Amino acid sequence: MVKFYLDGKEVTANKGETILQAARRNGSYIPTMCYLSKVKPIESCRICVVEVEGTEGFVLSCSTPVVEGIKVHTNSQKLFQHRSDIMKMYNVNHPLECGVCDKSGECDLQNKTLEFGVDSQEFSAKDMHRPVEDWGFIKYDPALCIMCEKCVSTCNEIVGEGSLQVKLGGYGSQIEFTGDDCGNCGECMAVCPVGALVSENFKYETNAWELQKVPAVCAHCSSGCELFYETKHAGAFTANEEKIYRVSNDFEYKSLCGVGRFGYDVTQRGGKDEKEFDAALSMLRKADAIRFNSRISNEEAKILQTLKERFGYKLLNGEAYAMQRFLKAFGSTSGERYYNGTLEDVKNSDFIAVIGTKVADDNPMVKFHMNMASKNRKARISYLHPIEDASIQNLVTQNIRYEVGTEEGVVALLVASLLKGNDLPSSVKDYFEELDIGNLSAESNVGEEELERLERALVRKNAKTLIVGSDLYTHGRAENMAKLLGLVQKYGDFKIVMIPSGTNTLGVANICELDASAEGTVVGYNAPGDYVIGMDGQLSTPPLPQQEGTLTTIDKRVVPTNAAIPFEGYTLNDLANALGLDAAHTIDYTVQLPKKAGYKAVEFDRLLEEYRPYSPEQNGYLLQNGAESVAMDLEEIAELPEYNGTVVYNCDPAGQMGALSAKSKNLCADDALLGSQQFAVAAKIKDGDTVRFEINGEKFVKVFKIDTSLKGVVAMNPLFSKGLSGDMLCSDYRFHKVNINVESGHNE
Amino acid sequence: MSLEQFKDRNVGTQEYRHIQASTSPKTPMEKFTQVVKRTFSKELFVGLKVVFTQMAKGPKTWHTVKYPQEKLPIGPRYRAIHKLLKLLESGNERCIGCGLCEKICIADCIRMDTRYDENQRKEVTEYSINLGRCIFCGYCAEVCPELAIVHGPRFENASEQRAHFVIKDDMLTPVDALKHQKEFPGFGALSDDADKKVKKTPLAY
Repeated sequence: MVKFYLDGKEVTANKGETILQAARRNGSYIPTMCYLSKVKPIESCRICVVEVEGTEGFVLSCSTPVVEGIKVHTNSQKLFQHRSDIMKMYNVNHPLECGVCDKSGECDLQNKTLEFGVDSQEFSAKDMHRPVEDWGFIKYDPALCIMCEKCVSTCNEIVGEGSLQVKLGGYGSQIEFTGDDCGNCGECMAVCPVGALVSENFKYETNAWELQKVPAVCAHCSSGCELFYETKHAGAFTANEEKIYRVSNDFEYKSLCGVGRFGYDVTQRGGKDEKEFDAALSMLRKADAIRFNSRISNEEAKILQTLKERFGYKLLNGEAYAMQRFLKAFGSTSGERYYNGTLEDVKNSDFIAVIGTKVADDNPMVKFHMNMASKNRKARISYLHPIEDASIQNLVTQNIRYEVGTEEGVVALLVASLLKGNDLPSSVKDYFEELDIGNLSAESNVGEEELERLERALVRKNAKTLIVGSDLYTHGRAENMAKLLGLVQKYGDFKIVMIPSGTNTLGVANICELDASAEGTVVGYNAPGDYVIGMDGQLSTPPLPQQEGTLTTIDKRVVPTNAAIPFEGYTLNDLANALGLDAAHTIDYTVQLPKKAGYKAVEFDRLLEEYRPYSPEQNGYLLQNGAESVAMDLEEIAELPEYNGTVVYNCDPAGQMGALSAKSKNLCADDALLGSQQFAVAAKIKDGDTVRFEINGEKFVKVFKIDTSLKGVVAMNPLFSKGLSGDMLCSDYRFHKVNINVESGHNE
Repeated sequence: MSLEQFKDRNVGTQEYRHIQASTSPKTPMEKFTQVVKRTFSKELFVGLKVVFTQMAKGPKTWHTVKYPQEKLPIGPRYRAIHKLLKLLESGNERCIGCGLCEKICIADCIRMDTRYDENQRKEVTEYSINLGRCIFCGYCAEVCPELAIVHGPRFENASEQRAHFVIKDDMLTPVDALKHQKEFPGFGALSDDADKKVKKTPLAY
């Protein structure tokens, strides 16, 4: 703690805190134009200057740390003059188009111009032609840009794409889009304090002040990012019809990926179709099982579980079942119910190992946090996967490519390396000593020297994280791998983060007692079945953005989400009530979530976000990590399977997240089968061919495209366009050996 | 101007002229007498004389306004049904779709829809004023930065359908009437000395 004087008042600052941070925490206002809490100080606006007694000139408060005993003055006539001069400079030739500007009403420039009472201009510069640029989803208007550089810092430090850079040129400076790697996440647009960056689908649609913000949680992946759905009536002549116009978030502290930010147009209008409701009910009465996906809330999972307890349905959800078994096996060696890491831990690590996930596509938020670790902590990142991911090459310090299917061997080798030097009980020690490292290494193609390099990278690291993905949960030998990983949590000083494959996979795995398979009539809830309720089904129910309830995120946090716009039709709760349960609202089940899985008996309405000044909001609560009985029954590593020939990897691109996001018209990811040149040769196909193949009876007809950034004979097969049946494939091991037939050649 | 005369609320001490009203008949006999007296006195013929004299003089001296064929001119500050003006030079709509009228409307009767058009400009696709709700306060005209929405002189709100008044095309100056469009002098218009109030920005070139 450091003591200093702020405007004559003695206050304390934490060690390493800057003057600006300390002043804000102590309730003193210092204006800023370029300061963004989540990135390093940018120092481009010079408006945050303060006076420090004994120092000549002004001091930049955003980047100057507090020193014991300094006397800081945040406001004086001189400072005001300096700051208002800067505001005048910002207004030189700034187009007077507030009337049509989308930022009007929430514009930093507007606010500060008013704050400093800038009503006349003494400065001038010759204006120049600055045409609007097209950056994909986003339009950049250099004439409106004030060169605060928040977008550039965010793109580098948070997103890690480095698609933006500053083009210096005095008065002609502007932001330059370098393009190729841009993942269309829209983070640059979110942090833009003026109207220079606006997305195409929002531009000129409405005004900031008309929108109503509904706090919610993103429905697309397991990161559970908090966001606001901004809604308004759908048009001039519509009565009582609401529409989501955009998604915004607490950009000072948090981020969103492109799917979360632009994939909001997945809402539905519903009506009460009583005939269909009765049909659904009679199907449910004679059904033996309910199949569902993980894009449901905890409460809905609880409803399904209650239905199971009451009426004996079998519950089918392949991916959550895989996760459930994986966590159980994990607990049998780690002694704890859950993995111990969070995204925050990923961000603060200096060593990260990633296995079993194409992380940038599976969960962009994990990738963002890896990038923050890489940029801020200079973290060493080892990426273990059969496919090298070109999009994260700038973060990854070591790529370890293993053979498809050999995950068990790789996990054993990795765990042995990670635990080297740790104090292990003799049984575990013996197990690792008996490992046939030479054989495993040869079979899996993970070189011993690669592992040695990884071990060397571990030296003197004190915040180590292991990220585990869904390739492992769905593998045939998942349970043994989970047991091995449990050892890392128990005996290593590692934080482990497991990426749940679906939005609420972790919640479903916690709440429902799932079954492996079922016979007889199957009713699908947002999933294929003999009768389908929900998405693409006969009886429509609200999609996740139109529901209130809680979700369990990757951080093991239970977060509340609200309905963005009303849905007039029936919900799962209505069906359950008709079957004999009794709850007025779906959220009545929030208090009933299982305590033994770590849920608290808190009412939904008490879970509201807590906002504190100058800090991110706190949403919901963390699951209690419970103890599990330890049973060290590690199995021998089974024979490693071989995947020869043409193999496809089921993986949606970063711009899509399964069947729900596929409904969005804003998102436009490529549905093509992407493979390397080598894959094309092995499968005897050419770029542009329409190919046909089959995975587990699911037929695919796709255009094949050569992606030069890919290597090896594994092609990427997006599933989002398959809708619900694509979701179902997520419960299987993601690599499949396929026969590829050319349907029609590419005519040139 | 002093506000003294407005602040004096001492009603009754000002110089009012009192008019002596005649007493009205009370008993039935008095009432009957009054009717007979009025019927047979000359009062009837006084009125008829005026009518016949005017008839004889001919229509040149008549003052009757033949409403609804004829209407009296209305003051520029009168707030009747809104009009949307166009730019005189190009014929483009003046409205830029800023949404201020929608925001300021205290009766919440204005709604508009805008979009990003092909020329990268903001285009107003729908604009409606629900005249069933409008209280004709004039705020929309006052707030409009482009003098696009103004109050017109059309005060007749009778129609078979309310919808007849709420459509943008009805309020917008038609193309052929553009040359007759007059600059609005009323509510929200620039003052005569507006030019003098403008502060100039220095230009280095």
